[in-house]
Amino acid sequence: MDSNFREILPTLVAHRVKFILIGGGAAIAHGASRLTYDVDVVYARDPQNIACLASALADKTPYPRGAPPGLPFQWDERTIASGLNFTLTTSMGDLDLLGEVVGGGAYEQLLPYTEQWEAFGIKCRIVTLEKLIQLKRAAGRPKDMDAIAELQGILEERRKLKTKGAK
Amino acid sequence: MSDEAVPYTRELAPPDFVDPVIEFYKKDIDRTLLRENLKLTVAERFEKYEKFAEYARELREAGRRARKQA
Repeated sequence: MDSNFREILPTLVAHRVKFILIGGGAAIAHGASRLTYDVDVVYARDPQNIACLASALADKTPYPRGAPPGLPFQWDERTIASGLNFTLTTSMGDLDLLGEVVGGGAYEQLLPYTEQWEAFGIKCRIVTLEKLIQLKRAAGRPKDMDAIAELQGILEERRKLKTKGAK
Repeated sequence: MSDEAVPYTRELAPPDFVDPVIEFYKKDIDRTLLRENLKLTVAERFEKYEKFAEYARELREAGRRARKQA
């Protein structure tokens, strides 16, 4: 299933979840052209936000992705508080909820490296291009090499545009 | 001065850090596509992505059907 930004992001916003879009979704927002199969967000770990997150996905049948069926998995505040990073399937599509991300830390630490953008009729926080490159690099996955090259290409093209605009 | 090796901190380098491996991958980037994307708003970029994802889905389905018939 391809990533369903159109449904997932407005659902989180409607439930007042504090989150930052990272990963492939942020790359698309910055101008990348590659396909991505899930939605990756870093969420705030305070009790109020955990309650919002529990409620946002309550009727979306969240379940650990790749886990055998039939596990006694219950999506509630206790589960979220006991865990940190959740890779989930939901009725809306695959969703990765990260309490912390390598190279970026928790929501509060990542917040200064975000921009507020508008899409799908909502405003949401997206990690900056510069930070996204650092996150991808910190993840150290061979599959990200292509993505980092593309993101650096975007950074270079943006700088060229700025220079042209300044002339 | 210490002779200790400098820790490997490539991931903490500035975003435009020149990594020879990444430079190798950069040769294959379609910059015309990136330039076109940069002309769009964020909402338009997501719309373009959705159309592309739909196209890819249809191709996957067509491939699946063809394999079934073969």
